[in-house]
Amino acid sequence: MNISKTQTGDSITLVISGRLDSITCVQLSNEIDSINKTGNFNFVFDFETLDYISSAGLRVILTTQKHANANNTKLEIRNITNSVREVFDMTGLLPILTIV
Amino acid sequence: MIRVEKLTKKFNDISILRDITTEIKKGEVISIIGPSGTGKSTFLRCLNLLETPTSGTIFIDEVDILKKKTDVPKMRQKMGMVFQSFNLFAHLTVLENLTIGPVKLLGKSKDAAEKKAVELLKLVGLAEKADSFADELSGGQKQRVAIARCLSMEPEIILFDEPTSALDPTMVSEVLAVIRRLAKEGMTMAIVTHEMEFARNVSNRVLYMDEGIIYEDGAPQIIFDHPQKEKTKAFINRVRSFVYPIDSPNYDLYAMNAEIEAFCEKHILPKKMRNNTLLVLEELLALYIPKLKQVAITVTLAYSEKKETLELMIEASGDKMNLLDDPAMADDMGMTIVRNLTENLEYQWKDGKNTLTMALRK
Repeated sequence: MNISKTQTGDSITLVISGRLDSITCVQLSNEIDSINKTGNFNFVFDFETLDYISSAGLRVILTTQKHANANNTKLEIRNITNSVREVFDMTGLLPILTIV
Repeated sequence: MIRVEKLTKKFNDISILRDITTEIKKGEVISIIGPSGTGKSTFLRCLNLLETPTSGTIFIDEVDILKKKTDVPKMRQKMGMVFQSFNLFAHLTVLENLTIGPVKLLGKSKDAAEKKAVELLKLVGLAEKADSFADELSGGQKQRVAIARCLSMEPEIILFDEPTSALDPTMVSEVLAVIRRLAKEGMTMAIVTHEMEFARNVSNRVLYMDEGIIYEDGAPQIIFDHPQKEKTKAFINRVRSFVYPIDSPNYDLYAMNAEIEAFCEKHILPKKMRNNTLLVLEELLALYIPKLKQVAITVTLAYSEKKETLELMIEASGDKMNLLDDPAMADDMGMTIVRNLTENLEYQWKDGKNTLTMALRK
């Protein structure tokens, strides 16, 4: 998995590519934790090049959403691929998340 | 008609046939199927003593053909054999191939033998080739001549040893049509074949041979539609398996994935099924491994080429642990993914082993 980060004002975009699974989820979780420690930011996850996601990756996204709800910030997920959308759908996460 | 008891055949120390006991009754058409190298052809060759059995007995019409006093050539005349490689006499015409045996061994007159030969050539649709030489015929035509030659000796049973294996696919049907016709006319036949549809349609009994034994014996409807034993099922459904052992909680997920991807690629599985397999497996292992005192897991994938289905089995040694009944799993995202992507999920706990089986949805 590869993560590239860009910041525009109080919004941080993470472009996540490759596989978000039980091994790589730790890397994403650590990245988000280190950002949260520096302040309250809106997050944009760009999944255009994310090929695979398992429940371990979903848990990181859910945790980020909960953190955003608690801190009045936003999480937006963009450019989701069909295979990743199917996993969101079957686990009932589509209505909970902001997917554009 | 033929009764075989405890037949064994060894080549040096290698057992090719092990304790084969069976019977072929008059009018039966028996197909002998099974993987290559399991003794099917050796079994046929033992029946007409082209191979000498190591032990056991073969009775033909209640005569033990392995006894020293038995007139083997006379008994052999009751059995014709058709080989994969035709074995026609290249220096003789088709007609001469059919008359040489009856004249020299049955003592028939040349005229009578020729009259019968022409009848038989008509039966196999090759009367116009009577004066041709073997080299002037196609593979399918050669095999039909070989069958006619076999019939010219008026056998009571014909043994076919992979009669279509050496043929161009376009010529298989013409040979099978002749064998079908003989079956309809009541000829007793034992046919070693890899033509499964043919075996299903023409036979009234099928022997599945594996590892030198008759592993399963039954009607074609049973053997092909409801095989009872595991190896028969795997053979009939053309199941290809992949086994991956896991003995550490820190197993290498990516190494396992790479091997599964290679397996899926080899059997040309759709990309979606491949990805779903990886996902289901990751979820199940993530659920299982933290619950195990000691990790001893075997992952098996079984792909049926015939049904185009992929089954997944996870075996884990240890205490009983049924994820399907665990209330904590009801809302678990991993388990939700597994349930969505698979069907026929079943759990069994036996002899200290948890076994979870499922089929990937198409």
